[in-house]
Amino acid sequence: MDNSEKGTGLLSVRDLVVKYTSGGDPVHAVNGISFDLAAGKALGLVGETGAGKTTIAKTIMRILPDHAVKAVEGQVSFKGENILQIPESSMRKLRGKNISMIFQDPMTALNPVKTVSDQIAESIGLHQGVNKKRAYEKAVELLKKVGISEDRAKEYPHQFSGGMKQRVVIAIAIACNPELLIADEPTTALDVTIQAQVLELITEIRRDLNTSLILITHDLGVVAEICDSVAVVYAGQIVESGSLEDIFDHPTHPYTQGLFAAVPDMYQDVDRLSPIDGMPPDPMNIPNGCSFRPRCSHAADGCGEGAISMTQVKDGHFCRCCKAEKLGGESSCRL
Amino acid sequence: MSALIEIKNLKKYFNSNRGTVHAVDDVSFTINERSTMGLVGESGCGKSTLGRTLVHLHESTDGKIFFEDKDVTKLNKKQLTALHQNAQIIFQDPFSSLNPRLTVKDTISEPALLSGKYKKEDLEDVTFQLMEKVGIEKRYQYSFPHELDGGRRQRVGIARALAVDPKFIVCDEPVSALDVSIQAQILNLLMDLQEKQDLTYLFVTHDMSVVRHISDYICVMYLGQLVETCPTKEFFKNPLHPYSKALLSAVPSINIHKKRERIILKGEITSPINPKPGCRFANRCLHAGEQCRGKKIDLDEVLPGHFVACHNPDALTEIRV
Amino acid sequence: MLKLRKVVMAMPKQQPERYDKSKKPGSLPYIWKRISRNPGAMIGFSLLCLIIILSFLSPYIMKYDYSAVNMSERGATPSWEHPFGTDELGRDILSRVLYGARYTLGIGVGAVIIAATFGMLIGAISGFFGGKLDTLLMRALDILQSFPGLVLAIAVATALGTGLVHSIIAIGIAFMPIFARLIRANMLSIRGSEFIEAAVVINCSTPRIIRRHMIPNAVSPLIVQISLLIAQAGLTASTLSFLGLGVQEPTPEWGSMIASARSFIRESPHMVFIPGLFIMITVLSLNLLGDAIRDALDPRLKD
Repeated sequence: MDNSEKGTGLLSVRDLVVKYTSGGDPVHAVNGISFDLAAGKALGLVGETGAGKTTIAKTIMRILPDHAVKAVEGQVSFKGENILQIPESSMRKLRGKNISMIFQDPMTALNPVKTVSDQIAESIGLHQGVNKKRAYEKAVELLKKVGISEDRAKEYPHQFSGGMKQRVVIAIAIACNPELLIADEPTTALDVTIQAQVLELITEIRRDLNTSLILITHDLGVVAEICDSVAVVYAGQIVESGSLEDIFDHPTHPYTQGLFAAVPDMYQDVDRLSPIDGMPPDPMNIPNGCSFRPRCSHAADGCGEGAISMTQVKDGHFCRCCKAEKLGGESSCRL
Repeated sequence: MSALIEIKNLKKYFNSNRGTVHAVDDVSFTINERSTMGLVGESGCGKSTLGRTLVHLHESTDGKIFFEDKDVTKLNKKQLTALHQNAQIIFQDPFSSLNPRLTVKDTISEPALLSGKYKKEDLEDVTFQLMEKVGIEKRYQYSFPHELDGGRRQRVGIARALAVDPKFIVCDEPVSALDVSIQAQILNLLMDLQEKQDLTYLFVTHDMSVVRHISDYICVMYLGQLVETCPTKEFFKNPLHPYSKALLSAVPSINIHKKRERIILKGEITSPINPKPGCRFANRCLHAGEQCRGKKIDLDEVLPGHFVACHNPDALTEIRV
Repeated sequence: MLKLRKVVMAMPKQQPERYDKSKKPGSLPYIWKRISRNPGAMIGFSLLCLIIILSFLSPYIMKYDYSAVNMSERGATPSWEHPFGTDELGRDILSRVLYGARYTLGIGVGAVIIAATFGMLIGAISGFFGGKLDTLLMRALDILQSFPGLVLAIAVATALGTGLVHSIIAIGIAFMPIFARLIRANMLSIRGSEFIEAAVVINCSTPRIIRRHMIPNAVSPLIVQISLLIAQAGLTASTLSFLGLGVQEPTPEWGSMIASARSFIRESPHMVFIPGLFIMITVLSLNLLGDAIRDALDPRLKD
C-alpha cells in the first residue's frame, strides 16, 4: 500500500526492487513492492508463475542466491529495523526464530539423512540454547502439535507421505514460536484432502501463537480460507491490494477480475471460462507503462506511458490502474 | 446416445518387490459418444493408470474393454494400430511429453504421416491446419519445446493427438501443470474441439472445479476402486459416498461469505499393495462399521443413474430424491 | 466477458521462419553457440586448433626434420637455432614435438572412435532390450571394468604387440565400458519418458522410435564424454609409449620422448619437460572444452 504513513505493523516492505542476472541480461523479478503486515494477521500474495512472489519471500528471509542477484533496493522493516541492511550474523539470529519459512516442495525441504526429530531439534538448539535432551523433548511436543505421534519421531523423511512431510516442515518452522511465518505455496504439491488438513493446522497454529502469515499462492480458494488481506502480484508489482472482502467482493484491477473470471468455480456453473488473453510478460523484458496493458481489454492510450501508481479505491483498498475508479465493480462470484 | 467405450471389471495390477499393487481394481463404467467422463481422485487412486490402460500403454491384467462394441482388451499389432487411429492421449506434463529435439512442425506432422491417411505433399497443409485448430500461430512451426511456454506446449500435445483424427481422447490431467489463466484457455480449447470434431473425452483430474466445468459424468476413484459414479450435475448437488463428500468439502471456495461444513478426514491413505477385502476407505471414514470390512462392496444403483459403493446407512444420509 | 482483441504479445525474440539448427537442443550448432561464450573453452579450442595445424604444417615449415640425427649437437639447451633444444640424439625437439602431436591426438581420437562405436552399440542394445540380455552384457562389461583402464590397456597392448594401431585398439577396448554404460543409462531413462509413450500411441514403429526418438536424445550427453575421453586416451597413449608398449622409437610420440629422455633428466631437463608440457596443454585444452560442453548441455543452466 502506497500510503505515506509509516508502517506500524510487524513487517513493512517499501519499494522493494530485486534484479537477477541471467547470462548478462538483467531479470526484473521484483519492481517496486510495498506492503504492510500487522501482528497476528495473514496476507495472501497471489500471482502466477514468474510474478515474483517467491523472490519477495526469499528477499525478506535474505536467502537469495548471491551469485545470481544483481541488485536489491528498498526497505524491509521488521519490528522497525531494516533487515536488508543488518549483517548476516544478525539475520541468522532472526531466521528460524522470529521469521520462519515453509517451502513448497516437502520432498526436497527436508534433509533425507536426518531423522525428523533431529531436524526440528536442530532449530530449537540453535536458537534457544537448550541441551540435546531438552531439544528432543520439545521436538516431540511439536510433532504432537502437528499431529505426528511420538513413536514416529526417530523416523526419516522418506518414511512419511507428502502431507506428513509438510507437517514436519511446519513443525520446524514454528519450533521457536516465530512472529512471522512465510509460507510459499505450502499445499500446492498436496492432494486436496491433505491440503485441507494442512490448512486447518496452519490456522490452528496461527490462533495459538498469534503468528503473522504471508501466504504465497496462485490458488484464490486457499487465500479465501486463510487470509485477512490480499495483494495481487503481476510482473513484479502489486497491482491490487486490500482486505479479503475488498478483493473478493470488489476486484478492481483488470488482472484481478481476469483471474476470478478464469478460475472454474466448483460451486457455480459457467458456460465458458473467460481466460486472460496472452501470457505474462517475460521478466527480462517488462514493457513500459502498465505491465498488464498487452492483455487488458480496457487498455487505452494513457496506459502505456510512465509508471502507473496506486490509486485508492476505498479506504485500505488500492489498485494500480489508471481507470480504477471506473472499474471498481462487483465480483462475479458472490452467490 | 450410444456407448463409445465400455469397461467391465477392469483390473491392472503391478508386481513390485513388496507385493502386488492393485492400481486399478475391478472398475466398470460406460462412456457415451460425444460426452466427457470425468475421472477424479487423489494421487495413487489409479485414475492415470486406468486412462493409460485404455490406450494400451499398459496391458490390462483382467477384465474387458470395449470400443464401439468391439472387444479391444487384447490386441495384436495390426489391431492396436487401428485402435490408435481412434483413441489418443494427452499427457499432463507438457514438457516431458514432447521430444525436445523435434520442432513443433515435426511433432505434429509425425502422427499424420504415420497414419497413412494423407499424401506426402499434403502433410504440410494438414500440419498447419492442425496448428490453427489448436491456436498455435504459424510462426512457431520451427520452434523447439524449450522455447515455448507451458500453454503452447500443451497445444502441441493436443494437435498431435488430433492428427490421426481420433474419436476418443484420454486427457490425463492436461491442465494441472499450467498457470490459472492458461488453464482456462486450454479448457476452452478442449471444449470447442469436442463440439467441432465430435470427440469423446475421458478427463482425468484431481481438480474438482475443473471437472465440474468440463465433464458430463463423474467417476470417483479411491485406491483403485470406483466409489461413486453419476451425472456431474447430480454429483455436485447430491454427493453420496463419504469420500466424495469429504473430497468436495476439502476444496477451498472463493466465496468468502459462505460458511461450509468441512469434513476433515482423519488418518492417511492405506497402501494399494495387497489390500484387504472390504471398503478401502473404511479406516478414514467417520461412519465405518462392521459391514464395511471383510467383503467386497459393490456399486449399488441408489438413485436412477447414480451408483455408490457404500452400503452403510449411517454414511448415506441425506439422499435427496 | 472480456472482448476478443488482437493481442500484442511482449515476446522478446521473433520466432524463426526458418529452421534454426542452433536452437535444437544437443545439436552441434547449439553447443557451439554456447561454448563460444565461454572464454576458457575458446582458449582451449584455439590452442588445440593451433597444435593440430602446426602438427600438419611442421614437416614443411620446420627447419630441421624431426628425425634428423646430429650427434654433435645432442642435449643442447634451447637457443635461437633450436628453440626447444635438442634431444639425446641431436634431433630438434621443436620439430619432434610438433610432429608428435598427431600421435597423441590421433590415438586419442582413434581410441575414442572405437570405444564409442562399440560401446554405444552394446549400451543401446542393452538399454533398449533390457532383461537377460542386459544383465549378460553388463556383467561382461563388469569383468572388463574390473581392471583399471591403464592396466587393461597395458595388458591388451602386450598381447597384441607394440605400435600405433595396437595402441588404438588397446585403449579403445579399455574405454568402451564407459560409453556402454552411459548410453545404456540414457536409454533407460528415456525409455520411461512420456514422449516415448506418446510416440507409441501415435503408432510409431519400434525401429522408428529407437532411431528418431531415443538415440538422438541418448547420444547428445555423450559429446561431453567424447571430448574428455580424447584427453584421457591421449594421456594413456603417452603412458603406453613411455612404458615402451605403444608407439616405438624413432617416432616422436610425446610419451616415448619422455621415456628416452628420462636418464638425462638431470643434465637436460628440457628434453623431458617440453614434451610433458605439450601433453599437459593438450589435455587441459580438451578438458576445458569438455567442461564447457557439459555446461552447455546442462538443462538447469538457463539459455
